[in-house]
Amino acid sequence: MTDNQSKQIKLLIADDELEFASTLVTRLELRNFQVTMVNTGQDTLLAVERDLPDLLLLDLKMPDLDGLEVLAQLREKHPDLKVIILTGHGSFEAGREGMELGACDYIMKPVDLNRLIEAVKLVCSDG
Amino acid sequence: MNQAKAFTVFDKILPHSIKASIDLVSTGRSYKQLRIILFTAMICIATGPLLMVGGLGYHYYSDLLLNSEQEQLEWKLGGKIKSIEQMIESLMSVVQFAARSDRYTELISANNLEHLLVRLQRQYGFFADLGVIDQTGKQQAYFGPYKLQGADYSKEEWFTEAFERGVYISRVYTGYRETPHFAIAVSNLDPITRKVWVLRATIDAASLQQFINTIKTNASDDLFLVDDAGTLQTASQYYGTTLSKYPSTVQVGIRHNLSEKGENISEAVGHIANTPWSLVVLKKKYIHHEDWKNFQTRLFTIISACILVGVLVVYSLVKMLTGLIKRTDEIQIAMLKEAEHTDKLASIGRLAAGVGHEINNPLAIISQKAGLIEDLLLLSPEFEHKEVMQNNLEGIAKSVDRCKAITHRLLGFARRTEIHTEQIQLNELISEVLQFLENAMLYNKIKVELQLQEDLPQAVSDRLQLQQVFLNVINNAIDAIGKDGLISIATHMVAGDIRVVIQDNGPGIDKTVLPHIFEPFYTTKEVGKGTGLGLSITYGLIKKLGGDITVRSQLGIGTAFTITIPLHGDINDRQSVKTD
Repeated sequence: MTDNQSKQIKLLIADDELEFASTLVTRLELRNFQVTMVNTGQDTLLAVERDLPDLLLLDLKMPDLDGLEVLAQLREKHPDLKVIILTGHGSFEAGREGMELGACDYIMKPVDLNRLIEAVKLVCSDG
Repeated sequence: MNQAKAFTVFDKILPHSIKASIDLVSTGRSYKQLRIILFTAMICIATGPLLMVGGLGYHYYSDLLLNSEQEQLEWKLGGKIKSIEQMIESLMSVVQFAARSDRYTELISANNLEHLLVRLQRQYGFFADLGVIDQTGKQQAYFGPYKLQGADYSKEEWFTEAFERGVYISRVYTGYRETPHFAIAVSNLDPITRKVWVLRATIDAASLQQFINTIKTNASDDLFLVDDAGTLQTASQYYGTTLSKYPSTVQVGIRHNLSEKGENISEAVGHIANTPWSLVVLKKKYIHHEDWKNFQTRLFTIISACILVGVLVVYSLVKMLTGLIKRTDEIQIAMLKEAEHTDKLASIGRLAAGVGHEINNPLAIISQKAGLIEDLLLLSPEFEHKEVMQNNLEGIAKSVDRCKAITHRLLGFARRTEIHTEQIQLNELISEVLQFLENAMLYNKIKVELQLQEDLPQAVSDRLQLQQVFLNVINNAIDAIGKDGLISIATHMVAGDIRVVIQDNGPGIDKTVLPHIFEPFYTTKEVGKGTGLGLSITYGLIKKLGGDITVRSQLGIGTAFTITIPLHGDINDRQSVKTD
């Protein structure tokens, strides 16, 4: 289950659904990812400033800042930051907008963890 | 519904079929009533003035002809009366000349009266006899074929008339002579005896008849004299011989009668001065008979032709017009229905999006929690019930997957679908979609038979939406078959469009269900097995892409969906469903 061969990937999960995020954190940690979790848009911006992750799993709907707004602000300072949108608000439109803002993928909840890890690895290996 | 207020009288009196705008709720207009009203109104407007003008023309022309005819008749009558008066005048002159005042003594003596008569007869053969009557009414001298010497005329009307007025012309009568005759009596004052005497000449009525015959021309059908008591003085072609009774009262003027034979007769009557006679001129039919007939024929022909042409033109116009209105109504109804359908889809879309969003998050939590437990179980050593737990977790995962399929489809329905066109090879697209469904078909032992036209041209359309379309239809086929079956998919070009036929050998769709299958939330699947949205979404998508989807089905044999996709999509984004 753990993957010791590859370099540990540093993930930041931004999701206001605490139950979902915490469970995901635990499961990803079990799979040897280094995971941090934030629950608001502002915290996401701060967390990225504090410790730049390899990849951000970003929810679109958070109480203070919309995921797309967070993405737009991050793009200015960290144009190379890899982002995967992971949301239950499956709007095709929002997905496309996210992709246009530089998100690497758009995954709709509920998601199979293996499918998510695959996507993460694919994005991270791209460069 | 949108019943407009009555603003004018027309709004109140016009029937529903004319003023109502069409909508989905009302029962629709009666085209038969509309046609009848339009036809009647147009015919009235077209033929009313025509008939009025025709009627006026008829009336005035008939008046004109009548007047002209009356004038002609009057003119003729006047002429004839003048000739008769002249004739009478000359007769009277002759008698007056013979009865010069101083000849009384001369005439009553010897054979002088006889000589006078003989002289007169030599000139005018119709003098029958002459008599000289004295003041007391006694005939002093007489010469003629009868023995009237000494007859007393003092009580006779003619005698008193002549005595008082100087000249008198009698009616035609038979009297002692028994042949019709009339008398001219002239009175005079004898200068010697200072007494009034009267010379009376009897004239054969045949002479009158003769004269009437000479002035009678072709212009009139009958010409005769009648006295003021209504007795014919000369023979009439219509009313009999002399002294017959004239059937109507003698009244000066012009009258129009119908004869016993039904002939139209004009009758002009004029009085002849100084006589008891009136002249009657009869004209059997109108003088302008031919003109009148021609006019009538022409008028009727023209008016009938106009009416016929009017009716034909109005009929075709009305037919065209009502046809047009009917077609417009149909188009409008179709548009209203489509708009209603779109509205329905839009609200369903909003609802679906809401439901999808709300369920997706808890579903994600369930999925992750179950996954975590599974992870932890994998890390734990064997213990009692471990396998049961793992099996149950697998069940949870499968249920989550099922829910996910539904919510994702709901969100797919809610998706605001702007169209991004690109070149698409449909055969490839279908194969891609089939890969998605491979597992499901394998699991259900469903085989796929492909008959794809190899040189199928590329279509300009939206890849994602076409994927969704085929996914939905093939999914539907899989669901219809259940287990063990065959789905055949064929592509080919038909009239510049690409046609995809997806056929299954499932149980088929009932005839009563078939018309509803593209309606949202209409499902025949068991509760919980289908959203009833798949085909509705498909329908919306394919219409938006400018294509079409139709279905044929036979119970026990199967169902075939035919999807038509235009090569260059006439993209119709009117129905895009806004859910954001």
